[in-house]
Order: sequence, then structure tokens, then C-alpha cells
Amino acid sequence: MSKSGSLKIVGKNIAEKDGKAKVTGSFQYAGDFSIPSMAYGKILRSPYAHARIKAIHSESAQEIPGVLGIVTYRDAPNIEWVAPYNNYKGLIMDERVRFVGDEVAAVAAVRKDIAEKAMDLISVEYDPLPSVLSIEDAILCNAPKVRAEGNRKEPSVTAWGNLDEGLNEADFVVESKMKFGSQQYAPVGTNACTAKWEGNQVTLWTATQTPSELKSIVAEAFQLPMNSVRVIAFPCSSSFGLWWVNNFMLITVLLAKKIGRPVKIELNQYESFAGVKRRHLEKSRGRIGCKETGDIVFIDVEHIIDNGAYGYKSDVGFFSCDLWGRSPHGRYVVEGVSTNLVTAGCMRGVGDVTLNAFVERLIDLAAIRLSMDPVDFRLKNHVRAGDILRKGTGYWDRVSEFRGKKRPSVCLSSEGLGECLRNGAESFSWKEKWSGWGKPYKICGSKYYGIGVGTATHCCGIALGGDVSALVRMHEDSSVTVCCSMSRHGQGSETTQAQIAAEALGISADDVKVEAGDTEVCPWSHGSISSTAAHRTGFATMQAALDAKRKILEIAGKHYFGCRSEDLELESGKILKKGEPDKWIALQELLSKPITDTGTVPTIIGEAGTCMPPADTFCRHFSAHFAEVEVDIETGQIAIVDYFATQDSGTVLNPKILESQVVGGAILGCGFALTEELIFDDKGRILNPNFVDYKVFRSSDFPIRCPVLFSKTYDPVGPFGAKGGGEGPTCAAVPAIAQAVYNAIGVWIDIPMKPEKVLRELGRI
Amino acid sequence: MTQFHVNGRFYDIEVSPDETLADVLRDKLGFRGVHVSCERGECGACTILMDGKPIPSCMVLALKAEGKEITTIEGLGSPGNLHPIQKAFLEEHAFQCGFCTPGIILSAKALIDRKEPLTALQVSHALDGHICRCGSYPQIVKAIMRAADSQKKELRHE
Repeated sequence: MSKSGSLKIVGKNIAEKDGKAKVTGSFQYAGDFSIPSMAYGKILRSPYAHARIKAIHSESAQEIPGVLGIVTYRDAPNIEWVAPYNNYKGLIMDERVRFVGDEVAAVAAVRKDIAEKAMDLISVEYDPLPSVLSIEDAILCNAPKVRAEGNRKEPSVTAWGNLDEGLNEADFVVESKMKFGSQQYAPVGTNACTAKWEGNQVTLWTATQTPSELKSIVAEAFQLPMNSVRVIAFPCSSSFGLWWVNNFMLITVLLAKKIGRPVKIELNQYESFAGVKRRHLEKSRGRIGCKETGDIVFIDVEHIIDNGAYGYKSDVGFFSCDLWGRSPHGRYVVEGVSTNLVTAGCMRGVGDVTLNAFVERLIDLAAIRLSMDPVDFRLKNHVRAGDILRKGTGYWDRVSEFRGKKRPSVCLSSEGLGECLRNGAESFSWKEKWSGWGKPYKICGSKYYGIGVGTATHCCGIALGGDVSALVRMHEDSSVTVCCSMSRHGQGSETTQAQIAAEALGISADDVKVEAGDTEVCPWSHGSISSTAAHRTGFATMQAALDAKRKILEIAGKHYFGCRSEDLELESGKILKKGEPDKWIALQELLSKPITDTGTVPTIIGEAGTCMPPADTFCRHFSAHFAEVEVDIETGQIAIVDYFATQDSGTVLNPKILESQVVGGAILGCGFALTEELIFDDKGRILNPNFVDYKVFRSSDFPIRCPVLFSKTYDPVGPFGAKGGGEGPTCAAVPAIAQAVYNAIGVWIDIPMKPEKVLRELGRI
Repeated sequence: MTQFHVNGRFYDIEVSPDETLADVLRDKLGFRGVHVSCERGECGACTILMDGKPIPSCMVLALKAEGKEITTIEGLGSPGNLHPIQKAFLEEHAFQCGFCTPGIILSAKALIDRKEPLTALQVSHALDGHICRCGSYPQIVKAIMRAADSQKKELRHE
């Protein structure tokens, strides 16, 4: 495939396809949708963190005029459903509630206000049970059981080399520990699900990043064949992993079945904050061993996450172990525990936002011990293209159990982190500003200024368990529809997929439409999770487009040119004979005219028949971020005064779109580092489920300019050399800010670095 | 019957005293570009212009809007005929999911319509009533500066 130099459409700043609809307010979200005879549903939620339901009295609610029906756990199928990557594992509803906000019943009525009134009239008798509200409580041997399986999940381990040898080889060892608050997705714009049954056909309209997974799960939970379930996915508003397959969607299906009418459940802001999911509460401890030369000998990390009530993970994507996988020894152990807090799940950069921040802390502590510049230390030790990837071992071993294949050697396909670090440091004037560890480079009154650098990596989709496919359908006028199941939540995939298809077909991106949400036409695909879309979905789209091209040229050779298809080329909407530029036909002509005696016009549907090489499971994107902060030692306030992001996403499919992913990711990471944290009370209730008490970044919290520099990496596997990019930036921001704060005031602050913690660490309160 | 004056047209409709302006604009008059999220004036998504001033329409009772001139995003431009601010947002790619975009564009219009010199920092602070959860703030500031500049140039030409 051509290198980025000869590309015509890939790499160009083509305006986002959805852009005009977005700036004119005509872009449709799930909440905007309605259909005739649609009822409105509301969900009754538990006030207890843990309780058994003794009885549900819904008679008086049923009697209200306009109420159409109520569902409780008695109506729910007795089938446990499992969300992608174990983000939910449980029944739709059962006789126990496991967090404040857990679903107890749902009511449908002809009007929203009637449904709300009816919901208030449902009375539930609970038998409260002792609850588990923290990681510490969850692991006590006499802890109440949140789940039947017990509170502790089998840890996920990635290990190589031999730690005892590592301890012997190391000249010094540094230890540390860290604790993280739980971040809320805090979506602006919530979600709604509308479900309709017609016989055994069910259709769902909702915002989801994983339309295919939703189809499969509904089919399984309601015991339907897959062709009885159709998902029509709406674009999500800010999602970051929140809207995949969520229990409220299944409750909507259940309610629609019960009342025999279409029903819509729209979540409000409180439900989105407190009733769906959040980032895990996490704790890390570990050590790093190094040589005096600055070479890392081992990293040994134990990390624990709380899954909340229905999450069931220990396999968070800690790709940070690959970043420093050159060290001869390593051990990463991640354990998931259950608590009676709202479910925790995969939020943008899962695992690497936290665990990477801790590994970066170890890296920093080692560099401090060596009095080595943090950029230089990273440059010395980071992973290179061709290196064996460590994280892969865990994945492959699990899959080989049922595939029975030997694990191929999995090497990193491409790497531009070194380039990012070097060029970023130069553009940021790092050397000029660097004044040594824990030393402010400037002081103005009570304001101390420090700089910091943070690095991160994350996957580009995960092959095993995350298969993707795409179809490219040619229309008679030579316009094209790409069908690939994914989401449109602001990452511009409908545009970048169109660019990939257009590039492969030699046509304009304006002639390509992307259908991403309708499972009736899109082949099964993992969806827009794990930074999949640009790299893996893009690969499938490219293969499908090339397959369509091959089919077109075959027909042209056979019916028009009387030559082999290899002698033909497709360019700018024309089929040309190579070396004879005056011999051509318009693509439109070929596609619109019958080619057989029976009068059939060519039906061209390109399929993604070629699989990505297995090594590609282990493609990574990289981020290196540079930040300058101002810490007011009187108030403890931290302000970000300068920010510079660098990114290796391979070939950049669309610079403006990727730039907004990088900057947006950085801002989300900065929020996690400084202000964002859910506060739970001693009953498991969230005390700040709103935008006043839960502080997300607003415009003036971030510098008005944020330059982004891309590396010139070309990935040998990705479509036209492209890789993913959505999650690494969030992960790099956290250690960059943490280090900058340390350099300003000489102490490390726990995340989120709120003013009171700063003052406490400085001994001022 | 209450009369509403929205985007240059008059509408006579029944509203109840407890209905918010956001609900009436969205559900009764069909202006779906009024995006409602927090319903408590914290996120700015439902911002509209009332007599040229940006307000979160979820925090205003509909009856309060009687006799006022209301502008929603639909009153600014259409996909075939974009307002210069919408054009600047498109060119700078100053949005991601697009949910906060209509409200921010209307706030930007009110800001630019003041016809006072603007710095990027002032624009950034003026947007603090809005949340762009996707984090497109730097691009949004750039787009608004671009739109303000193009308006300044237009004024000079007049």
C-alpha cells in the first residue's frame, strides 16, 4: 500500500461529514427520537446500597389512568448477560439491589409525567443488607458478598523474566504507592432508548458505541435469533465508554414487550451520573529496579480496582507494561473487587489512566534517584518497534485455550514515541525551562511554576474478542455506502472511514456515506471501543473497498475491455487501461448498465475478507505530553499555564480530527488529575452527581492554545499506515500534570490534586 | 394562549405555568437544536438568546418569554446557508460530539454582537457557562476569534 506521501484523500483536513448538522443543531441524538404510539418509561431505583427486595406493591401505580404496565425482576428473564469487556455481569433485574441507583422496577405510561407519578406510587419493602463501600472493605475475609462469585476476581497477571534475578541485578530499588479517585463520565447530553416489538421482531433506537454487541446481547437475553433483533444506533453525545450496552436498554426492551407498545426511556442527568457506570476506584503499589546507568531492570506493580456492583473486570488495559517492556523482568498484577457502589467500567484510557500514572511515578522516582532529566530517562528506556510486547502474553494465553494455537511472537508494529519526546521537548523549550527535580523554574510571590512530561501508550483495538468487519456497497451512480458498525460520538470516524474508502477506490470522500449504526446492514463489529475505529475498522473498510475495486475491474475487464483486470486501474471515478489513458469508461456507466442477458446491473459489495496479521493485536499508539503549571502555595490552587501534546497515531487520517481527539483527551486527563472525583457517603450514595459539585474542566481551566505535534510514523499494518489515538492522550496528561506540580512545589500530591490536598502536603493546614 | 416570537416568527400556543422555555421550544415548537442535558443551568447546552442575551432555557419558565425575541440555533443558519460563526466552527473543527455546539455558538453570537474588541482569553472566560465535555475549548476559542475577525473585516468594508 502506498506510503503517506502519495495519498490524495487520507491525511487531508476534510471537514467532518456530520459537521454541518452539528453546527446547525439538526444533528439527531437518541433523545430526539420518537415513533407513533410510543409510551414513556421511568425506572424506579434503589435507595439502598445493598438490600433484598421483600415485596413490590404496584397496585396503586397501576390504577393511575394512562399507566400501561410495570415490570419488576419477576418479569426479567433468568439469564445473566455480560457486557463487552465485563462491564456488566448480572441479570437485568433480580431480587437483590447492589448499589444506590440499582434498577428495581420500570413503569410505562402514555405521558412522561404520568410515568413519573406512577413511579412514586410503587412501594417497595426492602430488607437492607450489610454493604461493601470501599476496596479495603471488599477484601476483608468476613466482608459481605456483593456477588455470588465472591468479592475478589482472579487477578490478571502479565509477567516476564524473573523478579528475584531483577532484584539482584538492580543497583537500586525505589518503591511507591498511589490512590486514585473515581472519575465520572459526566456526559453532557444523556441517553435514551426506544424499543419496539412486532411479533418476535424487536427494534432498538439508542446511542451506543457498540451496536453489534447490543444486538447480540438482546438476542441472547430474550432468546431470539439474531435476525429478530435490529439496533439502529444514534450518535452518542460525549460518551468515553459510557454508552456501550447498558442495562437500561434491556429494561426498555423488557417494558416494551410487557406493554405491547413501543416505549422510550430517557435517562436524566442524575441517572447518567449515578445509575450507569463510572471509572473504577483504584490503588497501586510497586517498585522499580534500575542500574546506575539509567537502565530499568524491572518494574513490579500490584494494582487493585473496584468494579462496583455489576462490573466484573480484572483485565483492564494496562498497556503501560509494554511502554517499559524492554526491562528484562517485570510483573503486573491487576485484581478486581466488587463493591456496593455504582458499577464501574471502561472509561477512556481504562487502566492506563491510573496504572500508567503510577508506573510513570516509579519512572520519575528512579530518574530523581539518578538526578536524570525525565525526558532523557524516558528516551533511554521506552519500547521500540520490533520489541516483544508484554501485555500480549496474557491475551494470547487465554485465547489459545480454546483455539489451540501456539502464540506467535508478538512484536510492536511501529513506534514514534522517541520522535514525539525529542521534537516535543524542543518545541516546548524543555531544556531551557528544566531546573532540576522538585525545583520551580520560576516563583512570583506565592505562585510557584513547574514543568512536567508524561508518556503513555494504549492499544489500537484488540483483535481477540474484538473482531471487526465492513462492507463497501457501490451504488448505480458510483456513490458509495460503507457499512461498518461503530459509533459517532465526536471522534470523526464517519469522516475518516470515508477517507479510507475513497482513497482505496480512487473517488472523492464526498461520494462516500458511512452507515455505522444499523445492524441490519452493518456486519458484526466490535464497535468504537479500545481505540479500534481508525486502525482496525479502518483496515476492514480499506479491505472491503479494495475488494469492491477488484470486483469492478474484473467486470470491466470481462465486459468492456476484453483484458485482464490487472491491466486496469480505477482513478478519479474512471476505469482506465494502464498505459492507454485514452481508453476508459466512467465508473458510473459500468455500475448502471446491465451486464448480462437477464438485465442485471452489477451488484458490487466489497467484503473485508483479509484478516489483519495476528501481530496487529499488539499495535500501540503513543502520546507524550508537556505541561507547565502554576501552584499557589497560599490557596493550593493549581492552574495549567501551558500545554503541548505530541502524538504517534501512525499516518494521520485527518489532522484536525485527530488534533481534537488529542486535545480533548488531554483535557479529560487534566480533569482527572486536578478536579474530578465522585464523592460517596457512608451509605454508598454519590454526593456530587451534578456539574456544580462534580467539577469538570471548563474553557478557562485550560490554556487557550494547545499545539499538537504528530510523529511521522507509518504503521506497516494499519490502513495507509494509520493507528488509533483516542485514549493515549488522556493517559499521558495525568503524569505530565503530576510531575509538573511536583517540580513546582517539591511534593507529590494524590490524584485528584485538589487545593486542600496541596495545602496539607505543604503542611499549611 | 401565549405568543412566542422565535427566530422571526410568531407562535400562539397553550403552555402551562410550570413548563420551561426549553421544553416548549423543543417539544411544542420543534426546535430540536435546543439541547437539554442537566436541567439546572449548569452545562449551558440549552442556551438560547432572549432579546440578544444568552440564557439557559431550562432555567426560564416559558411564560417569561412572552413578548421577548427568542433566537435558537435554527434561527442562525441552515446547512445550506451557514452563519459566519457556524462556518468558522466548521472550518476550525470546533466540536466533537456536537451536543454543546448550538448553545456555544449562540453565546458566541451574543459576544461578537457586542462589537467590542475581543481577546482569546476573554472569549475563553466568556464560555465558562458552557461545558464541552469532549474538550474542544481551544478550537472553539479559535473559531470564535476567527468569526469575530471576519465580522470586523465586514464592518470595515461597509
